[in-house]
Amino acid sequence: MAARIGRRTTLALPAAAMLAAPALGQSDQRPSVTVAVQKISNSNLLEMLREQSNVGTRIFFNYAEPLIGTDWTGDMSIRPGLATSWRRPSENVVEMTLRQGVRFHNGDEMTAEDVAFSFGPDRMFGGGSMAGHEPPRDAIAIARRSFPGFERMEIVDRHTVRFINKVPDVTLEGRLSRTTAIIGSQRGFAEAASWTDWARKPIGTGPYRVAEFRPDQVLVLEAHDDYWGGRPPIRRLRFLEVPEVSGRINMLLSGEADFACDIPPDQIATVESNARYEVVGGPILNTRVLTFDKSHPVLANPLVRRAITHSIDRQAIVDALFSGKTRVPPGLQFEFFGETFAEGWSVPKFDLAEARRLLREANYKGEPIPYRLLNNYYTNQTPTAQVMVEGWRAVGLNIQIEMRENWSQITSRETQRGIRDWSQGASFGDPVAQTPPNFGRQGSAWISNEWRNEEFGDLSELLETSTDRPARKAAWRRMLEIAEREDPAWTVLHQNTNFTAKRRDLGWKSSQTFVMDFRNDNWGV
Amino acid sequence: MLRFLGFRLLRAIVTIVLVVTFAFVVLRLSGDPALLIMSVDAPPEAIAAFRAAWGLDDPLWVQYIRYFNAIFHGDLGRSMRDGRDAIVLVTERIPATLALTLPALAIKIGIGVPAGVYAALHRNSLADRMVMVMAVAGFTIPSFVLGLILVLVFAVQLGWLPSGGQESWRHAILPVITLGVGGAAVLARFTRSAMLEVLGQPFIRSASAKGVPWAAVVRNHALPNAAIPTVTIIGFMVGSLIAGAVVVESVFSWPGVGRLLVVAVANRDLAVVQCILLLVAMTMVIANLIVDLLYGALDPRLRATRTAGAH
Repeated sequence: MAARIGRRTTLALPAAAMLAAPALGQSDQRPSVTVAVQKISNSNLLEMLREQSNVGTRIFFNYAEPLIGTDWTGDMSIRPGLATSWRRPSENVVEMTLRQGVRFHNGDEMTAEDVAFSFGPDRMFGGGSMAGHEPPRDAIAIARRSFPGFERMEIVDRHTVRFINKVPDVTLEGRLSRTTAIIGSQRGFAEAASWTDWARKPIGTGPYRVAEFRPDQVLVLEAHDDYWGGRPPIRRLRFLEVPEVSGRINMLLSGEADFACDIPPDQIATVESNARYEVVGGPILNTRVLTFDKSHPVLANPLVRRAITHSIDRQAIVDALFSGKTRVPPGLQFEFFGETFAEGWSVPKFDLAEARRLLREANYKGEPIPYRLLNNYYTNQTPTAQVMVEGWRAVGLNIQIEMRENWSQITSRETQRGIRDWSQGASFGDPVAQTPPNFGRQGSAWISNEWRNEEFGDLSELLETSTDRPARKAAWRRMLEIAEREDPAWTVLHQNTNFTAKRRDLGWKSSQTFVMDFRNDNWGV
Repeated sequence: MLRFLGFRLLRAIVTIVLVVTFAFVVLRLSGDPALLIMSVDAPPEAIAAFRAAWGLDDPLWVQYIRYFNAIFHGDLGRSMRDGRDAIVLVTERIPATLALTLPALAIKIGIGVPAGVYAALHRNSLADRMVMVMAVAGFTIPSFVLGLILVLVFAVQLGWLPSGGQESWRHAILPVITLGVGGAAVLARFTRSAMLEVLGQPFIRSASAKGVPWAAVVRNHALPNAAIPTVTIIGFMVGSLIAGAVVVESVFSWPGVGRLLVVAVANRDLAVVQCILLLVAMTMVIANLIVDLLYGALDPRLRATRTAGAH
């Protein structure tokens, strides 16, 4: 009996929703848009303190925003968001003027109180006053990592706040633009039954409000017509979880979806063979790298690691596997690092003769080196590895692919590690956003004893704490010299890509990150 | 009969404990839930905090005892992804899965059994060969291939049906067909074989020689005797009602128990996986029990053996 009722209910609810949809449409001519995604949220939550993932990055900006915005579809520079302006009264303080008239999805006006709450113990750091609202311990850890020097958020007046850091930090504006810095409604949080309940349906200021979230199935957002940036162009924005690539493409081609995300490069021609559809996107601010484990007896010798870096034909990989739709970046850095960017830097040259010379000098005798690999976690991961293995074999390197099922098996120390794949992304325009957190003394490579270099560790700390801009720039260049040349920690392969298939008649621009921007200035463009 | 039932129940409990233990050990040894749920890019201290919060730092045997202790207190645990009760997560997906597997079971039985019987009764005829060709094709084509072909034809090319999701009854048509076709093919083959074996038995010839009409011979003598292997297969199909659509649910983005299982295994979300396995094991055990009881109803000899054993 239970099954019969359940089944009826299951089928009846969507049917009722479908009947209701035309009625809504009569008063609102804006379109409903469906986006087929591989995954909506890894954690089944929408709070970015818990959802530290590319897939979370894709959706968050539609329902919640940080104080300082980002030009997602432009040059990725920071720009006014919920804060219209900011200044630095001192090296460790950012004073921000809040935009007036900003409404949360529950109708409340955003004030300095909400900002203080968003950076407070209840949402971020734990030990708050709201009973039953303690953040999960891992969310607290992420908050502390995101704002390592945070002291307090000071309310100056209803529309002015001061972010006060314990130590000087030139990257505070960048940190205030990242996903974890979203501003939520204090009342909305208090009315949720718990932190986790809040995280399932956060109340932010974004152009769309969370109407329904069924984890692993669908996220339905509805237009927040009081949005400070203008009336959203889409009435109902639906992110539908379709795990299989073929399923997403079929949904697009059959008209059930308007966008299909995470399209592999080899499917672009298939999609575009139909004139009604196109694939947009390209390189994003995320770099595919190989990382080395120095505790491996052979890889302990930097000459062997250097030989590996010289026997990778990166451009051939970009041309053959990505149809030239990405690029080999100038080392593990992006131009949007601005003044810290190391000009003239490049990845190790593809030079088989040099690789052979280095191996001779290292007295390498063909000892096996394991290369742990996931099956296409990254786009074209397995074929990329196969191409590289051939290059390594050509110079006498005996690197053996070991397929693994998950990240835990990739990083496991139960058997000898060697080489593994990874990617590095920057959430704001400074190397601090990507490298020290992963390779510095607090990074997982260091902590798991994969790679350590004391000089690099010192420079990482300088990069994070110094306000001397020339010194920071010099430190970053030296860090690249160490980690990409002298004592390789990683070697860059190519910039990652993000391709989205869409209806050609929908004017919409992709960004250089996973963020999908559906505000009115990116619709009909 | 009570002893028979008691023995079956005991065997079922042992089976379930073994299944859950095996899954616990394999899942815990093959992946760290903290790293899989938090992602490799999460700060080490966040991963450590996650492990501490969920007791993943404790020795495996401690976690195992804690898990079983909780089960005996009626607590099947919580999802490590979002903290919800595993039993709630699983039970809310069951209607969606049954919405596929029950109609598919009806197709399997409704088409497979009559087709097998018909083929056997018309052995070596054109109809028999056609049924067998269809059965072999249905049996050998993997469900994900059949599903994709159906999507390409009926969703992409013809635009008659949706390609995936779970928003109306129309969304269920292609996955139900995909599930039903393979099972119907299996049943058709088994039913045909069973019928052919029975039709060659001396008692069938005797009944015919005594002048019993052929239809009555088939209905009263052939079908009941051929039913035992068919019921066994149907029993397996009933047992897989809960988690028998893993592949099809993935192909059609159908949010049922099968997809939940795939996601939970990938994330090593232990409580959810164990909860599903418990449910599947119980379904399978109950289905087997029903099949055993049906054997007795279908074959008086088995009933007599059990009665004798009970004394």
